[in-house]
Amino acid sequence: MKLTRALRILLTLAAGLAVVWSFIHVGTRTLRQWGADRFDQRTELTVLHWGDNAETDIVASLVEAFEAENPDIRVNRIHASDYDAKLNTMFAAGGPPDLFYLGSGQLPKMAGMGLLEPLDERIAADARAAETPWLDAFFPVLIDAFRYDGQRIGAGPLYGIPKDFTTMVMYINLDLFHRAGVAPPYNGWTWEEFDDAMRKIAQLTDPSGKVYGGVLATWPDVLRQLVWSHGGDFFTDADLTDVTLDEPGAQAALRRIQRLRFEERTIYNATTGDAQGLGEQEFYTGRIGVVGPIGRWRTPRFRSIDTFAWDVVPLPHEPGVDPRSAIVTVCWAMASASRHKDEAFRLLRFLCGPEGQKLTARSGLAIPPTRAAAESDDFLQPGLPPANAGLFIDLMDNARVAQMPQETEFARYLNEEIDQAIRLNRLTPEAAAAHVERRWLDELGSPLRQNTFPVMRWDVIGAVAAGVVLLAGGLLFAWLRKEKLGSIDRAHERAGWFFISPWIVGFLALTLGPMVVSLLLSVSRWTSMQPLSRAEYVGLSNYTHLFTHDVGFIKSLWVTFYYAALAVPVLQVAALLVAVLMNQAVRGITVFRTIFFVPSVVSGVALATLWVMIFDPDKGILNRVLNVFLNPLGFAAPDWFGADAEAFAIPAFVIMALWGVGAGMVIYLAGLKNIPASLYEAARIDGAGRVRRFFTITIPMLSPLIFFNLVMSLIGSFQIFTQVYVMTGGGPGDATLVYVLKLYREAFEYHKMGYASAMAWVLFIVLLALTLAVVKSSKRWVHYEGLR
Amino acid sequence: MTATGTTRGRRRRGAGAWPTYTLLLAGAALLLIPFYWMLSNSLKTEAEASIIPPTLLPGQFLWSNYPDALAKMGFTNALANTVVITTLCVIGQVLSSSMVGFGFARFRFRGRGFLFLLMLSTMMLPPQVSMIPLFIGFRYLGMIDTFWPLILPLWLGTPFYVFMFRQFFSQVPEELIEAARIDGAGNWMIYWRLMLPLSGPVIAIVAIYTFMFTWNDFLGPLIYINDPQNNTLALALNVFNGRYGVSNVQLLMAASFVTMLPCIALFFAAQRYFVDTGATSGVKG
Repeated sequence: MKLTRALRILLTLAAGLAVVWSFIHVGTRTLRQWGADRFDQRTELTVLHWGDNAETDIVASLVEAFEAENPDIRVNRIHASDYDAKLNTMFAAGGPPDLFYLGSGQLPKMAGMGLLEPLDERIAADARAAETPWLDAFFPVLIDAFRYDGQRIGAGPLYGIPKDFTTMVMYINLDLFHRAGVAPPYNGWTWEEFDDAMRKIAQLTDPSGKVYGGVLATWPDVLRQLVWSHGGDFFTDADLTDVTLDEPGAQAALRRIQRLRFEERTIYNATTGDAQGLGEQEFYTGRIGVVGPIGRWRTPRFRSIDTFAWDVVPLPHEPGVDPRSAIVTVCWAMASASRHKDEAFRLLRFLCGPEGQKLTARSGLAIPPTRAAAESDDFLQPGLPPANAGLFIDLMDNARVAQMPQETEFARYLNEEIDQAIRLNRLTPEAAAAHVERRWLDELGSPLRQNTFPVMRWDVIGAVAAGVVLLAGGLLFAWLRKEKLGSIDRAHERAGWFFISPWIVGFLALTLGPMVVSLLLSVSRWTSMQPLSRAEYVGLSNYTHLFTHDVGFIKSLWVTFYYAALAVPVLQVAALLVAVLMNQAVRGITVFRTIFFVPSVVSGVALATLWVMIFDPDKGILNRVLNVFLNPLGFAAPDWFGADAEAFAIPAFVIMALWGVGAGMVIYLAGLKNIPASLYEAARIDGAGRVRRFFTITIPMLSPLIFFNLVMSLIGSFQIFTQVYVMTGGGPGDATLVYVLKLYREAFEYHKMGYASAMAWVLFIVLLALTLAVVKSSKRWVHYEGLR
Repeated sequence: MTATGTTRGRRRRGAGAWPTYTLLLAGAALLLIPFYWMLSNSLKTEAEASIIPPTLLPGQFLWSNYPDALAKMGFTNALANTVVITTLCVIGQVLSSSMVGFGFARFRFRGRGFLFLLMLSTMMLPPQVSMIPLFIGFRYLGMIDTFWPLILPLWLGTPFYVFMFRQFFSQVPEELIEAARIDGAGNWMIYWRLMLPLSGPVIAIVAIYTFMFTWNDFLGPLIYINDPQNNTLALALNVFNGRYGVSNVQLLMAASFVTMLPCIALFFAAQRYFVDTGATSGVKG
C-alpha cells in the first residue's frame, strides 16, 4: 500500500515537472520567435522543402551561406515530411512559403490555379546583366519540364528552376544474377529476357529463405514508364482527354505485371509501405534480384549494403520500341503570393547555383541539373557503387517529361483502378482500363466541369445573415421582456445565462454558425487556395456530382457502411459479454479487469502503428499464429491490407477496435452492478436458468445503456479516420477509402471545400436517419425501469 | 478499484470457477499479445526486425533503439507541445463544462429546457459538418499553425461533459447552497468554492477523458499544424511512421510505445475512475 502511494506521488511529481518544463520550453520558443518577428529588421523569407537528413543538411548549409552573403534577409526554413499535405495547407491557410520544392508532376495543377510566379522576366533581366546566361548551362529538357501553357508541359512560362533530377533505372543484385547464370544487361534487355531472368532468380529460393526475381514499382509516374517500354502510353491526343490504356502497348504492360505477380509469382507484390518505398527493404536484404523502375534516390542507402554487389541497368523494353526514360525532376518554385519576390528570386538563384549543385551531386541522392555538374566526379564518384553511374546521364539523351492533365483526378483514378488489376488481381487489365476511362470521362462530363457558374454573392448572404441575427436577437429580447419578473427570478435568470454563456458562445461559433456556412459552401465551388470571394454558386451540382459522377464517393459510403455494420454489433456484443465475465465473483477478478481495460487507453496513431506490425503478412504475429491452425486445413491467413484487402481490411479494423473492448465493457459493468440482486434471486426461485436470466433480466435492465452505446458507437464508427489514414491511406485501390478520409482528402488535399462540405452534409443526413431509426425502434426494446 | 467491487453473490471458489478462469486467461493473453509484440520488436536489431518469419523473442535486447527513435522523432519538442496543448485543454474543459453544467443544474431561467435539449442533440452532430467552416474561420483569425484552434473549442464546454456535471450538481442538496448563501456567498463563490470542490470525481473523469482525447487527437493537429516545430506527438509519430515504418520497424515500435506510455501511466494512476465509475455516472439517473 505504501509502495503504490509513493509511486503515485512520484508519478504526480513527474507529471507536474513535465508540465512546467513544457510550458517553459514552448514559452521560450514562442518568445524568441516573437522577438525575432518584432525586432529583426531583415526581410523574412520562408522556404519549404522535403528530404532526409542529408538533404536537409544541404538546404540548411545553403541557406546559412546565403544569409551570410545577404545580411538584409532572414530565411525561415521549414522541412516537411508529409510534403504535399503541408504545402497545400500552407497555401490554403493563406501563407504559402516564398520558395518551395515542386515536383514536375505537380506543375499543371499548381500553375493552373495561378499559384506560381512566372520567372521568365526576372531571368531575362538577369541574362541582360550577366555575360553568360546561367540558365543555358542546364539540361534543356529539365527547363522545359517546368514550362506550362495551361494545357501541356514544355511550352509557356517558366515556373521553376530545376534543383536536381533523376532518370529511371533498374537496380540489380549482381550476386543473384551471377548465381542464376544471367548476364547483367548493361546494354539493355527485352521484356522477354526480363521474364526469363525473374524465373531463374526466383529458382534460387532455398530453405534459408524465399528469393524473388524482383519488385516492379507501379505508382502512376513509373507505371507510365513501363507502359512506354511496351510501346503504349496513357494518352496520345494533344489535349489529354482520350485515355489509351486499352490499346495494345498499355495492355501488354499491365498483363505482364499481373502475370509475373500472380501467375508466375516471380516478382514480389509488396503490399505494405508507401508506393515509393516499395521493394527497397527487400532489395536491401538481398532477397530480390531487381527493383525498379526507380531513380537515383535509392543509391545512398544501397551504398551501405556490404553483403552483395549491385549496379544499375536500363529498363527492359519490347523489341522495336525506342527505350525512353522518364525524368523525375524537382524545382524551386516561387509562390505568386510571395510578398518579397525580389529577395525570393535572389535566394532562388543562390539555391540553384553551383554550390548547391555540388552539394546535391555529392549527396548521391539525385543528379545536379547542369551537364557540367552531372559529369563531374562529385556526382560520378568513381570507386563507389553503382559502377554504371554514367547510365543516369546517358539516359538523358533520349529522355522526356510525361504529360499529365491538370485535373489530379486522373492520377487518382488510374492508381485506384489499376491497383485493382495489378496489386489485388481483382480486375482484368481490360476491365481496369475501361474503369479508368469511364471514371475519367465521367469526371470531365460532370456538371461541375461543363457549366459556368456565377460567383457567390457573399455581400447579399452577409446582409441576409445580419438581418436574421438582428431579427432573432430582437425576438428573443421581446420574448424575455414580455413577462415581468420579480427580482429573485431576474437574478436567477441572469446568473443562469451567465453560467451557460460559454456554451452559448460555443454553440453559435462552433456549431450553428459553421453549420450555416457549411450549408452555403455545399452549394458552391471553391478552392481554398484562392480567396473566398472567388467561390462560385453551383446550386446542387456538388450533390449531383457526388451521386452520379464520383464512384469513389459511392465506394466510400459502402466501405463505411461495411465497417459500421460489422463494428457496431460485434463491439457491443463483445463489450456486454466481457462485462458479464468481469462481473463474476472470482478471486483475482480485479487484476483481470485491469488487463481487459488497458488496451482501450491506447488510441490514435500509436494504436495504428502497433497494429500494422501485427497484421503484417510476413513479419506480423497474427498471421504466424493463424497459419498454424489454418495451414493444416488447406487455408492460409489473409493478406489483410494487401491482396485480400477488399474483403479483409475492414474486418481487420474491427479486430483492432475489438482490442479496445474495455471502454464499452466498463459502462456495461457499471450497469450490471446496478441491477438489484433480488431480481436474479426471484428468477432463480422461479427456476430460470443462466441463459434465461441473462435474456429476461440482464438485457432488459441494461437496455438504456445498450441504446446509448448503440447510438454513440454508430456515430463513432462512421467517423473512423486515424487508423485508416495511418495504416492504408485508403488503399490498396480504394478498398479502405472510408468516408471521413475521402472527405478529408477532398477538403485538405484537393482543396475542394464546397464539394467536401456537400459530403459533410450527406454524412450528417445519413447519420440523422440512422439515429432516428434507432431511436424509433428503441421504444419497443428499451426499458427505462433499468435506470431507477 | 476495491475487492468489494464484486457485490453480487458469494465468491465462487474451487472447481466451479475453472471455466471462468479459462475464459479470463485466454482473453487476457489475447489482449496482452499486441503489447508484447510491440515491446519485443522495439528491442530487436535492424537485421533481426526484418527477418521473415519473425522471431518471437529478440536475440539481444537493443535498448539503444529507444533514445535513437526518440531523437529521430524530435520527441522532446513534440512532447512539450503536446503537454502544453493537453494541459490547457483539460483546464478549459473542466472549467467551462462545470460552469455550464452548474448553470443548467441550479438556476431557473426561461428557455432552459429547450437549450438543454438543444445541447444534448448537438452531441449527435458529426464534427465533420463544422470542420471546414471552422478551418476557414481560424484561417481568417490568423490562427493556422498555432495551438489556438486545438485549445479554444474546449474552453466553450462539451455537451457530454456538461451533462455529467449537470447530473452531479443537480444532486447536491439545496440546504448546502442555502447555507453558503446565508454566509454571504455569491453565485460565483458558490460555484468556485463549493460546487467545484465537491465534484472531484466528475472532474477526474472529465479531465482523464479530455486528456486521452487531446493526447491522441490526430485529425485536429493534422489540419491546423504546419510547422514541424509545432508538431504534436501524434503528428510526429505519423511522420516517423512514414520515414521509418518500413525500413526500421524496431524504431517505430519504440517510438509508438513511448507515445502511448503517458496514457497507460495515467490509467494505472487513476484506475478507479476508469474502471469503477467509468463514463457512466452521467448516463444513468
